[in-house]
Amino acid sequence: MRPSRQEILDYLLRTMQDLTQDWDYAEPVNAESLLFTEVGLESLDAVVLGTAIQEHYQTPMPFAELLAEIGEQRRDLTIHELVDFVDLHLGAPVPETVAVRRPQ
Amino acid sequence: MSIRTLLIGLDGATFDVLDPLMEQGVMPFLKTFLAEGARAGLRTIVPPLTPPAWTSLMTGRTPGQHGVFDFFRMDSPATRHIRFFNSNDVQCETIWTLASAAGLRTTTLNFPAMFPPPRISGYVVPGWVPWKQLRLACWPEGLFDKLKTIPGFNQRELAMDIKIEEKATEGTSNYAELGPWIELHRRREQNLFQVLRYLTEEDPSELTAVLFDGVDKLQHLCWRFIRPEDDRPLTEEWEFQIRDLCLQYYSCVDRLLQQMCELAGPEATVLVASDHGFGPTYDVLHINTWLEQHGYLAWSEAAQERDTEGALLGVGQVAKHTWLMDWAKTKAFATTPTSNGIYIVVSDGTSPGVPAADYPAFCRKLADELRQVPDLRTGQPLVSEVWTRDEIFQGPHGHVAPDLTLVLRDGGLVSILPSAEVVSRRPVVSGAHRYVGVFGARGPGIRRGLDARELSILDIAPTVLYTLGVSLPENLQGRLPREIFQEGVLEKQPVRKVAAHAAETEATNHAPVSAEMEDEETVLDRLRELGYIE
Repeated sequence: MRPSRQEILDYLLRTMQDLTQDWDYAEPVNAESLLFTEVGLESLDAVVLGTAIQEHYQTPMPFAELLAEIGEQRRDLTIHELVDFVDLHLGAPVPETVAVRRPQ
Repeated sequence: MSIRTLLIGLDGATFDVLDPLMEQGVMPFLKTFLAEGARAGLRTIVPPLTPPAWTSLMTGRTPGQHGVFDFFRMDSPATRHIRFFNSNDVQCETIWTLASAAGLRTTTLNFPAMFPPPRISGYVVPGWVPWKQLRLACWPEGLFDKLKTIPGFNQRELAMDIKIEEKATEGTSNYAELGPWIELHRRREQNLFQVLRYLTEEDPSELTAVLFDGVDKLQHLCWRFIRPEDDRPLTEEWEFQIRDLCLQYYSCVDRLLQQMCELAGPEATVLVASDHGFGPTYDVLHINTWLEQHGYLAWSEAAQERDTEGALLGVGQVAKHTWLMDWAKTKAFATTPTSNGIYIVVSDGTSPGVPAADYPAFCRKLADELRQVPDLRTGQPLVSEVWTRDEIFQGPHGHVAPDLTLVLRDGGLVSILPSAEVVSRRPVVSGAHRYVGVFGARGPGIRRGLDARELSILDIAPTVLYTLGVSLPENLQGRLPREIFQEGVLEKQPVRKVAAHAAETEATNHAPVSAEMEDEETVLDRLRELGYIE
């Protein structure tokens, strides 16, 4: 069943709070936290986070396009905007090169 | 339960370095280990590159079969976007999944193509993961919190920290930058060992594997200190100090090898392997410049306006490259600097590019011309081999591989940046990958003092599985190297073979996985800092 926006937000906040506890990041993480300038993500962190999100929802999402877009626009990304992105693509049609889990 | 097979990866290790170090007393344990067991050169796959080579070792399959060709891959046939590799690209069984399916536990530390982690029975700490994300990358859930209880555990040093790697770049020429970086890698390997020891003492796995990748990194950036005979004699005091630190690193690895063998105990089979060898590289082939000069590639106006003086790849050059080309006039291009691969633009009948009917002839012509590229100083061919996709990447996933793959005479990597010259000389010698790495084995049933000359990296998977007592899938492309076993061993424990896993057959019939596309800027920056690219 497709998760609600609130469920997506809860998942992302929980994930970010779990991660930042390992970084000595003292500020609270909330929906308006900026991922790069406030939380301190670097691009590679965002890529891995994107992979983890896709893995969690078992759905491919165009994270590189998102990262390229925010890079080109020289802007940051809030967790709230990340929720929008995930929500949008959870409802998107599956692309031709659909993710297939290898045998485990 | 105890370790039955211990696999120790030494990324990029070569006997050209290890043999002198053993003779000089820097690696006494390795010398004893090999004298009490078997050794061989280990021929790797094309390209001799970390992601596809370790994946071949883990799967016993060539890249066309397992699906990993480079650090990057085209996201789909319909796009020119590239993305970073991940474990979903591995489209066949691995030694980890096969052992797990056979009811055995596996602990695997720091191997590439392991994130997202496979849900195996045991523990996974993937390699090539930034330190801030290590919690997400470990398997099973909760493992990371256990690791944090290890005294001295340092996630920042255990995983990758781009900021630390930034302190050392190829061409770095002072002690202040290189020294701490080398010591970091020594501490990092010790960190990995602490994790391995903790997991083994708490909950041992029959298959336990760890990859030390500092060997590769040091050899990329410090080749001239490790093997000054390939460049010029060391003269400055700081140069000798850097060499000493390098030797201390190898000495540390030697002690860790000994400690791991002691931890595994005398009944374990211990295998040591590298993904490729190493050697010096002096020249850079600016491949896209060559393609441009021969009429196969055209830069867009934006590219021509760019100042390329001193340009490095850390500013998003590769990502932009695919968009800074004039696609109406480009027929062939290189888009990643790590695999020496060239892609050919094939027309669909209406779009620009090489007509499909002309593709084979175009490949042959381009390959022939590339083989003529001379080293401007010696006049000798700079390109020693040009492989077509069909020649080296046969298999269900070969279609995502480059159309042509070059092998440079000195084992170096191409540059994809525009340049005033087709071939340039590196300011100082660097280390580059070679086709023959190292293999060593010791344990019950392994011959003592055997030099098996040369094995294939594809032989490691069947060897691991055999020593675990796991049946060998029939679709493995490697062989069990029977010559490394003592007489009677194979009769006492016959090789068992099974049909390929049904689920794998199903998986390999699907299209490649589409995951996120990487922020190539950062990854390329990181690869440059690690010495993979200029």
